[in-house]
Amino acid sequence: MIIVALVLAAQVAVQDPRFERLDPDTRLAVVAMIDSARGDGLPVEPLIQRALEGATKGAAGARIVAAVRRLTVDLGTARTALGTNASGPELEAGVAALRAGATPQILTRLRTVRRPPLTMALSVVADLVASGVPADSAAAAVLALAPKARDADLVEFRRAVERDIALGAPPGAATSVRLNAGASDVYSQGAGPGAPQPRAHRP
Amino acid sequence: MFEREDDVVERVIQQLRRPVTIDPGLDARVMREIADAPRAKPRVWPLWSLLATAAVLGTLLITHPWTRADQSGPAAFQFVFVAPQAASVSLVGDFNDWDPNRSPMQTAQGVWATVVNLTPGRYRYAFLVNGVEWRADPGAPSAKDDEFGTPSSVVTVGGSGS
Repeated sequence: MIIVALVLAAQVAVQDPRFERLDPDTRLAVVAMIDSARGDGLPVEPLIQRALEGATKGAAGARIVAAVRRLTVDLGTARTALGTNASGPELEAGVAALRAGATPQILTRLRTVRRPPLTMALSVVADLVASGVPADSAAAAVLALAPKARDADLVEFRRAVERDIALGAPPGAATSVRLNAGASDVYSQGAGPGAPQPRAHRP
Repeated sequence: MFEREDDVVERVIQQLRRPVTIDPGLDARVMREIADAPRAKPRVWPLWSLLATAAVLGTLLITHPWTRADQSGPAAFQFVFVAPQAASVSLVGDFNDWDPNRSPMQTAQGVWATVVNLTPGRYRYAFLVNGVEWRADPGAPSAKDDEFGTPSSVVTVGGSGS
């Protein structure tokens, strides 16, 4: 039964018209990796998107294959850290946090202090690091906020830190100041400016 | 503005300033009317209506079970890019299979914009200017793990109110 399901899934993957954007050799390698990932219970859509990104950007086949392989490994690491119940978006965000410098232990710790989904919390860690905040500072800040803050609060925290950095504050100091300024209390009140908007959001 | 010379206005003002006399028995009459009004009998819901309500609630729970918050529906996100000299700008990312033809942006005096519905998740994206030039979104976090040598940005759609 399982073998039949895997065979059917593989056929679906091969027949996916999106793969026609890859050259034949790359397509074979990517489809094989995707089938393997599916067999391991990993989400495959992020792998497909990474391959399509490479194709659209005109990357060489070897580079696309390497990117998909690396993402497969990192998704597995994220799942080990976040648990088998972690959703696809959580695993993707976990990969981003890991690549930003967060350790698997931080991901596991975050899982214990915050109710799922962890997608936003993990992404904020990655985004803060992308803004120049040291990985350990970003992880510590999100871990401190995570138990009570809403997703919108975490986004507002990230934006506040980014604003301070843009105004010239050192990234680590900006994170500490925002955290120590009672950010967790303010944001956990639910009165933050990041409340759901009825109109279109901005990234 | 009122003109105090106006006779009409003056008469209105005088009328308003006249003390109003109220019948001393008014309160008593009002209270008597209230007391005499027929009272609504408390309704007792029959058993069948309670069972019907329970059946409807049960059906709703079965057909719409509680799910994890990150499986909620899509939300509209607006993407904006300023490029006064561009002839075309496309939004390309994980949400449209990196297909430049799926989300062409509309311009108004050099400000390009489009709205995309996104379900909770983390998405990488970029703007493709004139079909050849990849640009990141200056208003969004950058994707630091770009493996294809061109800039990308990240948008994360949360799914919880926690």
